[in-house]
Amino acid sequence: MASKASLKGKGKAGKGSKASEEGSSAAKCVKEWSTWAMKKAKVITHYGFIPLIIVIGMNSEPKPQLYQLLSPV
Amino acid sequence: MGSSVSHAAAPPPPPSPPAVGLAVALPPKQDEKAEPKNVDWLNLPCPVPFEEIQREALMSLKPELFEGLRFDFTKGLNQRFSLSHSIFMGSMEVPSQSSDTFKVPTAHYEFGANFLDPKLMLVGRVLTDGRLNARVKCDLTDNLTLKINAQLTNEPHFSQGMFNFDYKGTDYRTQFQIGNNAFYGANYIQSISPHLSLGTEIFWLGHQRKSGIGFAARYNTDKMVATGQVASTGIVALSYVQKISEKVSLASDFMYNHLTQDVTSSFGYDYILRQCRLRGKLDSNGVVAAFLEERLNMGVNFILSAEVDHRKKDYKFGFGMTVGE
Repeated sequence: MASKASLKGKGKAGKGSKASEEGSSAAKCVKEWSTWAMKKAKVITHYGFIPLIIVIGMNSEPKPQLYQLLSPV
Repeated sequence: MGSSVSHAAAPPPPPSPPAVGLAVALPPKQDEKAEPKNVDWLNLPCPVPFEEIQREALMSLKPELFEGLRFDFTKGLNQRFSLSHSIFMGSMEVPSQSSDTFKVPTAHYEFGANFLDPKLMLVGRVLTDGRLNARVKCDLTDNLTLKINAQLTNEPHFSQGMFNFDYKGTDYRTQFQIGNNAFYGANYIQSISPHLSLGTEIFWLGHQRKSGIGFAARYNTDKMVATGQVASTGIVALSYVQKISEKVSLASDFMYNHLTQDVTSSFGYDYILRQCRLRGKLDSNGVVAAFLEERLNMGVNFILSAEVDHRKKDYKFGFGMTVGE
């Protein structure tokens, strides 16, 4: 009886897993892409944030000169 | 006019002050007396943001104490754009499980760029070991603000980021936060009266399936600020700041953690004088700390920091200079 119950449970679980597999593969794809996108965004932000600030700052009014970036005065 | 008229008018409180000497001190008091009758309950002031509810107490009691040498140089290229160079050589504390404090000697150079516009603020700091601290604050509309705070490291899984959306209403503020590790939080604060504001916050940590709720209250007048915070994580925090004069304010703070049965209370002072700012505090953990910022010249500040922990026998002294605004 216990084995019958367990077989029934396995069968149900099998059916449920088939149906959820299709649903979960789409969710997995989305998750994979979003993880990939987050990783790329993190690398881009890590390397590009400070240059972005410098570019925005050098283009703001009044425009500072390029040598002012490096000189300590 | 006649002395008899003034005698008759003396018993009821006259709108004009009785003596010239007190006239300088009295007008604010009279405004306060008139205020309770004229409170416009539909037009209350906007409260401070929820995370700044203990701002005055934190500014006085928690200065940036450090150990070692610190040198900051800020160079402004523009009214809005500036670069900063910062050197730090000293010991930094590594949090450890045991009660011993682990100090690691570190030296780093930090390069930073700031762009400060009324509508957009970008602050970035990068260290020699590759860590990036980024802060973005953008006013999307008049009332909606987006804030991004991120610490990115080269090591995987150590980076942190947080997105905050703030909405400011006429007499309330609300904020929604999204952070990494599936952290979601929201808070709301409302002015109840011209002096009292109440707020609440909830948060949910996805990966650890933890959630919490907290309540806060802030009562402030021109001279004092009292705040209280209770959270379901078992933390009760109270603070009280009294402004003694334009130059002096005293602050006290009490924190109780129910889960670790930890109680801390501290008392501090904040002197803002013409040439210097001196902050000191005394703690119930046996910690005495002081922080001095002295203005030597226009834009040149000399900093001294001291923290003496009698219980752990940990003595930290630091000095430094800050050049530039």
